[in-house]
Amino acid sequence: MTATKPSPQASATTFSSSEPALVKRIITSTAFMIAVVVLVLILLFGALSPNAVFLGPANFRNLALDSAQLILLAVGMTFLVGAGELDLSIGANVILSSVVAAKVITLLGGTPEEVLAGNYSNVGVAIFFGLLAAVATGTVFGIVNATLVNLLRVNSFIVTLAMMSVGSGIAYIVTGGVNVSALPRDLQKNFGSADFFGIIPVPAVIAVLLGIVAWFAMTKLRFGTHTLGMGSSIRAAQRAGIKVKTQRVKLFGIMGLIAGLVGFIDISRFLTTNIQGHQGDALAAIAAVVIGGTSLFGGRASVLGSIIAAIIPAILINGLVIMRVGSFYQLVVTGLILLVAVGIDQRRRTQPS
Amino acid sequence: METDLSGLHPPDQPVIETRGITKSFGHVEALRGASLRAYPGEVLALIGDNGAGKTTLANIIAGVHASDEGELLLRGISVDVASVRQARELGIEIVYQDLAQAPDLTVSQNFFFGRELLVKGIGRFLGKVDERAMRERTKEAMTLLGAQVPSLTVPVSALSGGQRQAIAVARAVMWAKAAIIMDEPTAALGAKQTAMVYDAVRAAADRGLAVILVSHDIPKMIEFADQMAIMRHGSVVAQMPTAGLELVDVLTTMLTAQKDAA
Ligand SMILES: Nc1ncnc2c1ncn2[C@@H]1O[C@H](COP(=O)(O)OP(=O)(O)OP(=O)(O)O)[C@@H](O)[C@H]1O
Ligand SMILES: [Mg+2]
Repeated sequence: MTATKPSPQASATTFSSSEPALVKRIITSTAFMIAVVVLVLILLFGALSPNAVFLGPANFRNLALDSAQLILLAVGMTFLVGAGELDLSIGANVILSSVVAAKVITLLGGTPEEVLAGNYSNVGVAIFFGLLAAVATGTVFGIVNATLVNLLRVNSFIVTLAMMSVGSGIAYIVTGGVNVSALPRDLQKNFGSADFFGIIPVPAVIAVLLGIVAWFAMTKLRFGTHTLGMGSSIRAAQRAGIKVKTQRVKLFGIMGLIAGLVGFIDISRFLTTNIQGHQGDALAAIAAVVIGGTSLFGGRASVLGSIIAAIIPAILINGLVIMRVGSFYQLVVTGLILLVAVGIDQRRRTQPS
Repeated sequence: METDLSGLHPPDQPVIETRGITKSFGHVEALRGASLRAYPGEVLALIGDNGAGKTTLANIIAGVHASDEGELLLRGISVDVASVRQARELGIEIVYQDLAQAPDLTVSQNFFFGRELLVKGIGRFLGKVDERAMRERTKEAMTLLGAQVPSLTVPVSALSGGQRQAIAVARAVMWAKAAIIMDEPTAALGAKQTAMVYDAVRAAADRGLAVILVSHDIPKMIEFADQMAIMRHGSVVAQMPTAGLELVDVLTTMLTAQKDAA
């Protein structure tokens, strides 16, 4: 399709292939390619695992539960990377949010003696305010990140690197370095490890629902266009009258909100905070985003690709464990896939269309 | 359209007038009291050597920078254009020297970047964009200009420099209600596309808009524009109708005039 009828001078032939058919667009999309990779991995582990336990419903439930948190983080990160920003502090944010939530739950749950015995008299209220505290902490953390980027005029890589340290530092101060544990069992039973229809983990459902909302916002809403436009050229966005600072606050705020939610899911699953953990969360999320087809330089993003790519680490870990190979190989394989993805992104940039 | 042969001011009130605008970037005095008037239905050529301050003046009118001193008048009324958004609301559009497009966004997304058309109904509340309406309006504007692009759904980074420039011009022409400022809009264009842009500029002026055309092609401007403003060292040293102007006089003014000679 050409916009106007081609004149002899216009080199229509050069461009006539630039609007490929739908089928071709799908097949050449990164999300599709990464879906094929995921499928191949699943089949491979299915074939290699004893009695094909990898393909059993119980293992799929584990996969879904194990990937839920990374999917959520990757979805939030897709918007940031698409906007040309990064958030290295999400791991620290997850920890801090979970610590604040756990503190709130233990404070509101009952008398110190009751709580110590894991016997919460006030469990409903405690959990409700715990969730609220996690989400609020995460969101505020994100807004602080954006505000610092806006005020200092330093790129978000540096700001969030510093905030990663600040965030985990505060978590250590608040807890004195001791994890908050013995959280109410109801949290796990009714939320963290709960299933719909006895097989679909609640956190995975939340991740997928949020993913759908995010996909809609990215591809159909003005919010998505402004996000990608800002990542494509921040000057163009400013000259188009877009309030990039406000947009930045929204983007980091959403990322923070998601990190807070992930923090809450984390304590719901394990009934304890994990202040030593989550070191690799930010890099894992960024890796999933880039593997899924979002340009590390901003401007192009695929929410669907991020969601699919965020399943890869869980598949590798589960598969390797089932095959009794050390799960540490997961890090190596994910790293290699990331390198390939970055290579593809780089090639796309240097030869447009 | 004939220029005013009397050499006197045209009867209308200027759409855009700047009075004594100054602007410094740190120690660099980019503008030292720049005054010009752009009239409805006319093309005002803004010329001057590299670094004379043409882009700075254009950007101040378009709301990109705030001026340090001086006044901007829109149809005789002093206005405070504090942002690009505000300038746009007043009907002032600009084609930037560097185009300022988002390379990853499509042609129609760039056309409507920052003022997307929204669907009707509940989607509007969410900010859902009306892609189809945007594509149709973009297509109309491009056809009006006679500009060629292979597709409105490719990212502009996939297009040639000339095509990108044509998009920027067509976009400004589509949105402008009062004035269009074009900062060297034909710099990247071949002869045919250049001619198309000049046709579009003239058509926009004929619609009653004031067009300020920044250019280094002085012979063409003498022939094409209605009036000419010559900048030197941050001020407009002369503004006059182009009728009867000689290239050598323009060059002399542009390269040697003192500010108080204006
Ligand atoms: N953002 C800025 N920061 C610092 N100095 C600037 C800035 N913008 C412009 N200048 C300086 O202001 C002066 C005028 O620049 P301007 O771009 O307006 O000139 P111009 O007439 O458009 O030149 P050209 O014909 O090369 O486009 C130059 O000395 C330039 O170096
Ligand atoms: Mg210039």
